[in-house]
Amino acid sequence: MVVTYIIAKVLKVSTELSMFAAALTGGLAGGVGIPARHIVEGAFTYLDIILIFITATLFMNILKESGGVAFVVRGILKKFFRRKSILFVLISLLLLLPGALTGAGSVTVLITGGMIAVVLGYMGISKPKTAAIIFILAGMSAAAPPVSLWAMLTAAGVNMPYVGFFLPLLIPCLFLSLITIFILGSRGKPVNLEKALKELPEAPQKMNWIRVSLPFLVFLFLVLAGRIWPHSLPVVGLPMMFMAAAFISLLLSPVKINFLKISRDTVHQLLPLIGTLTCVGILVQIMTLTGVRGLIAITTVTLPLVAVFITLCLVLPVSEAVLMWGAAPVLGVPLVLLFNTIGLNPIIALAGMSVIWPLGDALPPTAIIGRLTADTVGMKEPYSELLKYCIIPAVIIMAVGTLMVIFSKKLAFFTLL
Amino acid sequence: MSWLYLRKFTLIALGLVLMVFAGVSFFESRHLKEPVVLSRGVTQVKKLSAYFPGVKGTISDSNIYVLEGAKPGGTILILGGTHPEEPGSRLTTWILTENAVADQGRVFVINSANRSATTVTRLGGGYPPDFTIHTKWGEQKFRMGDRWSNPLDQWPDPEAYIHYPSRQELAYVDIRNLNRAFPGRANGTLTEKTCYALIQLIQKEKVDIVIDLHEAELQYPVISTIVAHEKGQNLAAMASMMISGTEGFSIGMEYSPPALHGLSHREIGDHTQAISLLLEAPEPFLDATRGRTDRRLLLEGKDEFVVKAGKHGLLFEKMDENGWPIEVRVGRHCSTILQILELWSEENPEKSVIVKGVPRYAEVIEKGIGNFLHDPAKADPKRVYYE
Repeated sequence: MVVTYIIAKVLKVSTELSMFAAALTGGLAGGVGIPARHIVEGAFTYLDIILIFITATLFMNILKESGGVAFVVRGILKKFFRRKSILFVLISLLLLLPGALTGAGSVTVLITGGMIAVVLGYMGISKPKTAAIIFILAGMSAAAPPVSLWAMLTAAGVNMPYVGFFLPLLIPCLFLSLITIFILGSRGKPVNLEKALKELPEAPQKMNWIRVSLPFLVFLFLVLAGRIWPHSLPVVGLPMMFMAAAFISLLLSPVKINFLKISRDTVHQLLPLIGTLTCVGILVQIMTLTGVRGLIAITTVTLPLVAVFITLCLVLPVSEAVLMWGAAPVLGVPLVLLFNTIGLNPIIALAGMSVIWPLGDALPPTAIIGRLTADTVGMKEPYSELLKYCIIPAVIIMAVGTLMVIFSKKLAFFTLL
Repeated sequence: MSWLYLRKFTLIALGLVLMVFAGVSFFESRHLKEPVVLSRGVTQVKKLSAYFPGVKGTISDSNIYVLEGAKPGGTILILGGTHPEEPGSRLTTWILTENAVADQGRVFVINSANRSATTVTRLGGGYPPDFTIHTKWGEQKFRMGDRWSNPLDQWPDPEAYIHYPSRQELAYVDIRNLNRAFPGRANGTLTEKTCYALIQLIQKEKVDIVIDLHEAELQYPVISTIVAHEKGQNLAAMASMMISGTEGFSIGMEYSPPALHGLSHREIGDHTQAISLLLEAPEPFLDATRGRTDRRLLLEGKDEFVVKAGKHGLLFEKMDENGWPIEVRVGRHCSTILQILELWSEENPEKSVIVKGVPRYAEVIEKGIGNFLHDPAKADPKRVYYE
């Protein structure tokens, strides 16, 4: 499978088709032929996440087309252009919120990433640095509570209730987000307001805060309503919540928007991501079917404990890069069971692992969130520039996550607060 | 340009071929008829909707096999297929419904507690669609199933699952897990409605004991055990002691954690008059470190990677080259059920439940499960039901 993948990449086949080819080879080499049922079943593994991607992006594209994004960016700049520290804290919160609520860093990138990139740009922060800030904070937002998919999928895999994770996830995610933005944005200058406003696109005359914020409020209301009155309302699901926000945005737009065209463009824009997620699902299914997944898992968990701790910060991002959320059931489950067996606190240990996992979203072969961030920011520099600026915050994140695992027993009180 | 169209056409055609083959397999899985040849002890077959019309016409309207003894006594409910990916659970109920006869009291058996979950296999899990048990008269095929209800029957999932009525936050996907949705809601999701219907059954039939049959991965600490609600702790502890001394295998006993909500051993005990017990048998097929995922692993329970995990002290149950064959797992469930009934009947003579015709651990291993499954072709069609 690995050889096929490498050959496909050498032949410049796209990442998603390379993974598909690797899966087909895995099936043939594993003696199961071309298992149609498993290929199709695997392709549907991440259907829900794909729907979230599509609907959230559609919402953001409508907001952008209506002039809402330009309006918000101008508003933020006018209010806080002199106070860098406050601006950084607000930017961090704006970036953390969407991913924390949805569990997907891509939603952070799509909803607030583009706007924040413009603000950071006018502070004199280069595009690769801006992309690194947005990427790291998007990753932290995905790991942050209430919805952390890595923690939830792993917890479900070991039949552990997703309870007690709030503070063990919130504290490191918040802390590491602020550290990242202050380190990478340290050379940012106060914004030259006049120049910035001149260069920014004008918002339509009739655009106002109500038109911009109402779709977000509707989305927030639907999320909160599902949590406050979960037993009085039907289950809506995140894709429908994003669609509701998109329709409100469409209705309130001061300019006429061609809904069909923008829908078509959105799907076209996301096609590589959808393809990658589909093929990751197929690959995981074939790896499980043939025993390759088990081989990886048993090799990892039977390493000497010291080696597990030392390599954790590398193994987790790499597994994320290859399997995305599939890394949680493949590696997270045996690792948590291992930690539980040796007397560590599984909740804190899993929270520590959940903080490290998102770093892999910038790494090939998938690099989904990294690529999405680079596209959203409009980075023209090589992709390696984004990775270069991620190194320092990534090292800090790896250290914090690993220490959380090692000292999980002593940090167990966080689960009770 | 023509090359582009040719490539697109070829890929679409290949995709369609895959979809047709996969579609046929999915359709067959969902509609596979699993025969149950009723034991002469089955006096009635009811539907779950008889207790709660909210599940009528849905896939969750499971069959309830009632075995009523001539003498009045207590009432027991045995749940199979709460998690259909644990086949030892459903196969045990098959042995009961095809062989058991109640002399005293009543036994209610449900082979597919979460029938929706029997019609789907785990996305990304590489599960076989079905498995086969060899019998003297041929082979009987069973659906594999999953841990969660089929998304075709209940979708979408919420962004967070808040359990009713505790408001405990659980993994979002567990909104489709029958063993995280008890006691259920009349106006809830399909899985919650199914739990609600089961609770209605337990209350209306004045069930004394509910036994929920499960299997677990060997890396899961709750394994080879009886998980008991406070009301059933003495009974479970006695059963554990007796089994370990007489049946040829060991089984532990654990208390149902009061703060862990949605599970049958907690909520049925809390919300009804019944004693709730949950039995766990080892199933290496579910282990995250398992190797090749196929029918052989499912039925023979042998896996070198899981053995290796055991050698590194990562398992909560022993694992060697003999594995955990399905006969051993089903035999454990059969003997544990019988032991619980015997102890209960000794302690509560007026509520005795006396059952015969059910093989014990050693007999299931010796004769095989197929020996206790009957040929539907030779049975009276009126005595054949389908799951």
